[in-house]
Amino acid sequence: MKRDPDEILSFCSLRIGYAEGRKKNALLSPLTASARRGEMIALIGKNGIGKSTLLRTLAGLQLSLGGDITYSGKSIREYSRTDLARTIGYISTEIVKVTNMRVYDLVAMGRFPYTNWFGKIDKSDHEKITDSIEKTGMSSLSWRFISELSDGERQKAMIARILAQDTGILVMDEPTAFLDIGSKFEILHLMHLLSQKNGKTIIFSTHDLNVALSQADKIWLIADDNILDGAPEDLMLQGAFDHLFDSTSVAYNSENGTYSFISENRGEVRVSGEGIMLHYTKKALNRAGFSISEGEVHPFLRLPSGSCRYWQFMNGDSVMEFGSLYEFIKWINAEMPLST
Amino acid sequence: MKAEHQKIADSFKSSGKRLRIVFISLLILLVIFMVTDVFLGSVSFSAADIFNVFFHKTESPLNTIIFNFRIPKALTALTVGIALSLSGLQMQTLFRNPMAGPDVLGISSGASLGVAFVILGFSGNISVDSLRGLGNWILIAASWIGAGTVMILIMSISSRVREIMTILIIGIMLSSGISAIVTIMQYFSAESMLKAYVIWTMGSLGNLTSDQLNVLLICISGGIVLSLVSAKMLNAISLGENYAASIGLNVKLSRAVIFASTSILAGSVTAFCGPIGFIGIAVPHISRILLRTSDHRILIPGTIITGGIIMLISDIISQLPGSESVLPVNSVTSLIGIPVVIWVIFRNRKYSGVF
Repeated sequence: MKRDPDEILSFCSLRIGYAEGRKKNALLSPLTASARRGEMIALIGKNGIGKSTLLRTLAGLQLSLGGDITYSGKSIREYSRTDLARTIGYISTEIVKVTNMRVYDLVAMGRFPYTNWFGKIDKSDHEKITDSIEKTGMSSLSWRFISELSDGERQKAMIARILAQDTGILVMDEPTAFLDIGSKFEILHLMHLLSQKNGKTIIFSTHDLNVALSQADKIWLIADDNILDGAPEDLMLQGAFDHLFDSTSVAYNSENGTYSFISENRGEVRVSGEGIMLHYTKKALNRAGFSISEGEVHPFLRLPSGSCRYWQFMNGDSVMEFGSLYEFIKWINAEMPLST
Repeated sequence: MKAEHQKIADSFKSSGKRLRIVFISLLILLVIFMVTDVFLGSVSFSAADIFNVFFHKTESPLNTIIFNFRIPKALTALTVGIALSLSGLQMQTLFRNPMAGPDVLGISSGASLGVAFVILGFSGNISVDSLRGLGNWILIAASWIGAGTVMILIMSISSRVREIMTILIIGIMLSSGISAIVTIMQYFSAESMLKAYVIWTMGSLGNLTSDQLNVLLICISGGIVLSLVSAKMLNAISLGENYAASIGLNVKLSRAVIFASTSILAGSVTAFCGPIGFIGIAVPHISRILLRTSDHRILIPGTIITGGIIMLISDIISQLPGSESVLPVNSVTSLIGIPVVIWVIFRNRKYSGVF
């Protein structure tokens, strides 16, 4: 079979895990998957299943127990340490804490595989470093000490370092793990830009399914001892996510790609209304354990509309009014306690 | 876009300028203290005497004092300061632990065990002195082996335990274990050797023969060269092993280079001058404060100069200028180093574990 010229990384029957003396403890059955230039790939799987081990193996930090990894068609065995460092960059969840290290110094470490024995930064290295800092929007912070950065800024500095390393592939182990929502989307946006504009192949692990489904071009899903490889939508159509969590209390909704708790069903409520008001009222009712019904016999909840700014709950002859959903849920919880 | 580049370039220039000023001041201080160390001591002399010694080449007792005692002693102080500080810097980066240093982690103890084997272990007939030139090399090699062994032990422990305090406690345990062994050896050794060993443990800069000084200078030069070779490696290692490997560092090889350099530096000094404490742990912090960088290509020369200065100051203080008596240099370095170490502990409380 002719090789796809844009295929930048592939692995075949790859066995990952740890060798203890002669004994090999493989974590998963042999894995096969590939990545193309400019793709953003999300690696998903349960905790402890071997995501980090796979990423470390791909980055050449850990030997595989079998099988082969190829970068642009050339086996990892033919790469020297330096060549590999020029091909694939790595960011883990480990936080770099070095006293007196400035953002510029950290990014300059990316030039390690290019500099001479003494690590001399010449003019072209300097250009690369300032460029990388600029691409990540860190120019104004380039002279800050990394110990003074916020989590999001530190992650950007780490990405700048990997850019200075000038690799086609970026491997990131949970790049958004510690970040608040704002920084998380900034980092994701940056990753997206790098894959789109600069043609970087980004492989990242995440626990955030929403992020994976919306951002990734491709998903590597580790489940049941194996790796499933495809566009997020393909995997959804195959029902691959249905059994990601072997749990009876979490339900997967394949329509919008979200997980939710399965709470005890406490009854049915008829709701009238439309738009965002309906959406969030339904959400609140679901959370409280009520399902939405169309039947005439069930209690009826009328949403605020027009001049009426109250939720009106009609059960038989009684009518109750509530100023907020919070009050309604509070009342209904007291009225119909959960059977224990 | 251009403006941002310009900003980085400006910060570059101003920090480069600051570095140059710091380095020049340090060099000037080094020269001042070197000269002061040569001219202060139990025998005082006037400027005219000094002029005579250097420019008229007259044979006088002063001449002997300066060329045979003062200058070798100042040179020794300089070398010892450089060697211990450099080994401390390398260890702090290698272990990623601000409290690492040749004395705290038991490296000096390891070296002294090697020395004890040589001084106390030889039978009464052969003493180190009778071996002449070779004896010095045996002594220094035993010291290297002792230092290197403890180094490897601590390294293998610290790959499993990350907490600074645990590693320090293990270092203290190792030191205690080693001194127990040395005590047993002392118990069984002859009186004269015992005395030689006890005097050695007090640490001294002035007791080196010219042969020993030559050997020391050769070894420390080698150690300095190795440490300069390791500058780039140390920079990578400071990021942590994973990141170091991911940017293409051969972690095992660089560890070996750094081990060798550290053992040679700390071991050689310990062999001839005894265990001198707190220079190795304190000086790297002083030079970090002065230079405000994490780049070992700057830190190494900075630590070399700062180490020399601090050790010369210690030597000057230990001579108690204007008096006949001399303090053990070990006590002086402890009194200078301990406040720095305590300051570092307090400053590091907010970072848990690694630095």
